[in-house]
Amino acid sequence: MAITQAVSNTILLDRRAARVKRFANLRPKNVTSVSRIPESIALAEKNTLWISYEQSLTNGLLKALDWPPRQLGRIVLVHRLLPEGIPVLRNCFYRVAYRFDGAFLPPEELSEVLAADNGEDLILGGTIDKTSRTITLWKGNLDSVTVPFAAFRPSGDGIRPDFSSFAVTDYGQTLVLGEYQAATDAVLYELDPRYRRRIAKRRRATEKTFGASLRRLRKQRGLQREDFPPLSPKTLARIEQGKVEPERLRRRTLDAICNALCVSVEEIGAY
Amino acid sequence: MPVELRLPVVLQRARWKVKIQEKEVVEPPHVSILRRTAKWRINLRTREFMDSRPDPAEVPEGLLEFIADHWNWLCEQWDEKYPDNPVADVEG
Repeated sequence: MAITQAVSNTILLDRRAARVKRFANLRPKNVTSVSRIPESIALAEKNTLWISYEQSLTNGLLKALDWPPRQLGRIVLVHRLLPEGIPVLRNCFYRVAYRFDGAFLPPEELSEVLAADNGEDLILGGTIDKTSRTITLWKGNLDSVTVPFAAFRPSGDGIRPDFSSFAVTDYGQTLVLGEYQAATDAVLYELDPRYRRRIAKRRRATEKTFGASLRRLRKQRGLQREDFPPLSPKTLARIEQGKVEPERLRRRTLDAICNALCVSVEEIGAY
Repeated sequence: MPVELRLPVVLQRARWKVKIQEKEVVEPPHVSILRRTAKWRINLRTREFMDSRPDPAEVPEGLLEFIADHWNWLCEQWDEKYPDNPVADVEG
């Protein structure tokens, strides 16, 4: 079950008392007026977590910042943000999660993911950019990963992603694009090398073979066993199932595999 | 439509969910059990938990029995969503 991690202190910029209650697990200092922001800045440390639900309070924060800036921690801007505020915020906060056109988790789920020990494997929210056709997702540790629309391939049952209907649900474990509900871990596995390394390390205890890695990478690339000429599908199956030891593979066999997957032999083991 | 097994109210109230999500192209056929920030996966071919963490013992017996009662439906839903990696394909 979720264990809370140490959050040295949390400052919640929000005037809605009912919503503030949802963040009780983080024990936040609640700031409801612009006049109280300078004292919050004075209290902030480099690990402070800031959460703002109101543009007016964020504007108050921007106006009250000290120059030259000092590190105030991390900030989640749940309200829609105007882009001109981002460079200034990045001077003071080492991580800034925001949205122009996108969504965040509902408050009770957001608070739990921010405190979860597996927060870096969960998604808080994201912002859609229709120009570059990408979604930038914010993880529970406020790190980001940018995902192209093309990564969300239609399912076999015909369900297609609807990028005008984006949401995050299931405590950051599901990305909703209309009726298309993508597994967060599958998205991170494909596009976040740090997540992939972490998972690979975890799997090594149970499924550490070259064949298992090869199979995962082939699936991720959307390739069939027929797509590795001049190797036969049967040969590839034997390699994936560990019936042929990787040390005994011939150079030309490895070349055929690497060429089809566009990776080096060493990289295959990371999948 | 998204694939979610409709659970008894008592399990819903405890925030359990059972889903077959999109984009699961890398792993063997499986069903995902979600509860708050935790996720368990059960292999639809072997009926075994796929991960040692979180602890499979945290999933209540009643939920596992309910999943077992709807096993064929879940397999059908998987096959429809992932026809290139069907449950019956032992080599997948």
